[in-house]
Amino acid sequence: MNGFDWNMLGIVFALLGGVLAALLAGIGSAVGVGMAGQAAAGAVTENPSLFGKVLVLQLLPGTQGIYGLLIGFIILTQVGILGGDPNVSAVKGLLYLAACLPMAIVGLVSAKWQTKASIASISLLAKKPEQFGKAMTLPVMVETYAVLALLISILSIFGIGGLAV
Amino acid sequence: MAVVPMKRMELWALRDRQKPLLELLQLRGAVEVRPASQAEGMFSREDTSQLCREAEQAAQTLETAAQLLEPYAPGKKGMLSFLAGRPVKTPDQYASMAQKAPALLEQGKALEQLGRQLEEAEGQFPRLAAQKEGLAPWVSLDLPLTYTGTEHTRALIGSFPEAWDTQALVEKLEEALPEACAIELQVLSRMPQMTCVFLLCHVCWASQVEAVLRGMGFSYPPSSGDLSPALALEKLEQEEAALRQKVQSIQGELQDQAGQREDLLLAADYYQARAENYRVLGEIWQSPHAFCVTGYVPEDRAAALGAELENRFAAFVRWEDPAPEEDTPVQLRNGLFTAPMENVVEGYSLPTRQEVDPSAVMAVFYYVLYGLMLSDAAYGLLMVAGCGIALKKFKHMEERMRKSLRMFLFCGISTTLWGVLFGSYFGDCIPVIAETFFHQEVTVPALWFEPLSDPMRLLIFSFGVGVLHLFTGLGVQFYQLAKRRKYADALYDVVFWYLLVGGLLVVLLSTEIFQNIAQLPFRIPSAVVTVAGVLAGVGAVGILCTAGRESKNPFKRFLKGLYGLYNVSGYLSDILSYSRLLALSLATGVISTVFNQLGAMLGDGVVGALFFAVVFLIGHSMNMAINVLGAYVHTNRLQFVEFFGKFYEGGGKAYAPFAVNTRHFQIKEEK
Repeated sequence: MNGFDWNMLGIVFALLGGVLAALLAGIGSAVGVGMAGQAAAGAVTENPSLFGKVLVLQLLPGTQGIYGLLIGFIILTQVGILGGDPNVSAVKGLLYLAACLPMAIVGLVSAKWQTKASIASISLLAKKPEQFGKAMTLPVMVETYAVLALLISILSIFGIGGLAV
Repeated sequence: MAVVPMKRMELWALRDRQKPLLELLQLRGAVEVRPASQAEGMFSREDTSQLCREAEQAAQTLETAAQLLEPYAPGKKGMLSFLAGRPVKTPDQYASMAQKAPALLEQGKALEQLGRQLEEAEGQFPRLAAQKEGLAPWVSLDLPLTYTGTEHTRALIGSFPEAWDTQALVEKLEEALPEACAIELQVLSRMPQMTCVFLLCHVCWASQVEAVLRGMGFSYPPSSGDLSPALALEKLEQEEAALRQKVQSIQGELQDQAGQREDLLLAADYYQARAENYRVLGEIWQSPHAFCVTGYVPEDRAAALGAELENRFAAFVRWEDPAPEEDTPVQLRNGLFTAPMENVVEGYSLPTRQEVDPSAVMAVFYYVLYGLMLSDAAYGLLMVAGCGIALKKFKHMEERMRKSLRMFLFCGISTTLWGVLFGSYFGDCIPVIAETFFHQEVTVPALWFEPLSDPMRLLIFSFGVGVLHLFTGLGVQFYQLAKRRKYADALYDVVFWYLLVGGLLVVLLSTEIFQNIAQLPFRIPSAVVTVAGVLAGVGAVGILCTAGRESKNPFKRFLKGLYGLYNVSGYLSDILSYSRLLALSLATGVISTVFNQLGAMLGDGVVGALFFAVVFLIGHSMNMAINVLGAYVHTNRLQFVEFFGKFYEGGGKAYAPFAVNTRHFQIKEEK
């Protein structure tokens, strides 16, 4: 292994980070939207006119997947896979990996919990269809943390690009 | 632009004018009836629950009848029919229902009857089909299935659950009963799971033969009465034909009445309104000769309504201003630009009488925040076009829907403006197309800056917008307290916070770290920083001393003051929460970029262009749908949590006047 250039692995680490963000957040959202969809279908059987409203609630846990995609894509554009600078050192690669973790992990977990809030809100709506504003606000509270994670991931990735390591 | 002021009405009139008077009140739809909870002496209430129920049942019957006619009624619903609103009827058409409704109700009852008959008739078909199927294997027998034989013979008609042929059966019988003779056996039909046979033998052998047959799984067929199977089958077919004819004639009758569907629905609305009228009649207090209606009326409608009642019914009407502690119903009234916010405010909670209507203050922020999150000029223009066309095209749109569309129209305008500022038109669509298909470098300059290349700047700007939003909320609280002459509270709860948070922000801006992160173009003079620090200190001490002012115990007061001061962390998280403006703005831009790049992957040429078009259409419609929704929910959140948290409680009860509340039609003058 003499002479192995660790820096060759930089891009691998970076891609691993981006892929993790898309993967985990995507899984969280897919599971979440699926579960909320089941609850929504139940509410619609009782009252078909609720469709438009429960659709919004079903989609709420779907945003994490999009944020994950976003992070994944920014990584691709930064490390030379879809443009950007392909010379990623090992340190830089690991930094990118670390930068993706907030979105990956918080994306997964927040999607799961937002789903539970969404499902509860769907049953709220089934009983009190006029309370849409309130039913929508409760799951959005959870989303805040996904947005914060997204923010930290984005800022870190853009910041790392300019570092000389 | 505010909560509509209400007047409390007290109306006295003679009983002989009660019916037309209540009908007029209902037609005008201006009074929310709130009867006194108790009355003395000769006043009593009439029990109208029976009448109310009857009217509701009538409405129900008519709706069922109309539903029955729906498959035959002309007029199809399109995809956009939800925008069109309920069909419109003029007040005259509605008034004519008073005469027409009883006849329509009779028709509705007859239709309901027809519907039951139709259902019953249609329910017969499966039974007939099953019977016919059961008889089919026996048609070749020209005796009734119940035929048992003559004086000396015994007929056994039945089936085996297997396929047998005559030869095999005869052998089997001979084997079991070798001494028996003169057994006549005929296979009527043969299927893999069933063999139908006719067997004739002498009566003296009957029981033994039957026992043998039973051992082979012999069973008797379903009865067809005393007709032969062929005749029975024919009879069933006749029965079916008659039934089919009956169904057709019922359907024809329904078809004939299909044109009446609208009238039936209007009559249903009429009876629903009657039920409401009876409900109110049951709530008001009546003496042998007079009655009294109390309730709330919007101030601007009071005078006209009062004059009309006095002139037409010689009623006595007294107006009063409601006491401040009264639970007065709340109605919001706003201008073109701010009225769309009413939906959002209702989604949270209506203001109480003591509070201001937040719609006007919210409106500007709502549109600005929404636009900042979506921030794509092309998406904005699409929203403007879509909402604009729908608003123009559908004249009778429901009021709520109209407000929502108007809200998205304004949001679209704001989105367009922000998109131009940030140079985003379907993301980076124009440069990508220019480079892929025309091999030219085109840049679309942002009027201000591109968030993707300088996210820090937009983050700081977002926080700035947040601080402005929060401080405006505090300002509204100041206004509310001042209006109620609680000047001390205004000082303690608003001004001290302005000093503390504002001062801290200025000090923070001047620190070295912050200067490095944000790269602000200016330096804050040290004198200003000192002043800001002092002001923040004053605010902090003020809050420490006053936050627990309702406690008498000085120690408890101090602790509560400390806790109040701790709320400064709440301001920190409130301000940080506005970072979502940046996050969502970037999300729109980056996802657009993803789709544009994806589309450009096949390069130029016909195939490339087609591929680009497909990816562009699918990708951007998805991105737009998701981000329109995302911007909407997050704007609501910023308003509900961060902004309302500073001044708004809500809990008002919506104004629900006694009116003709129709479900199927809008009653208004045709314009």
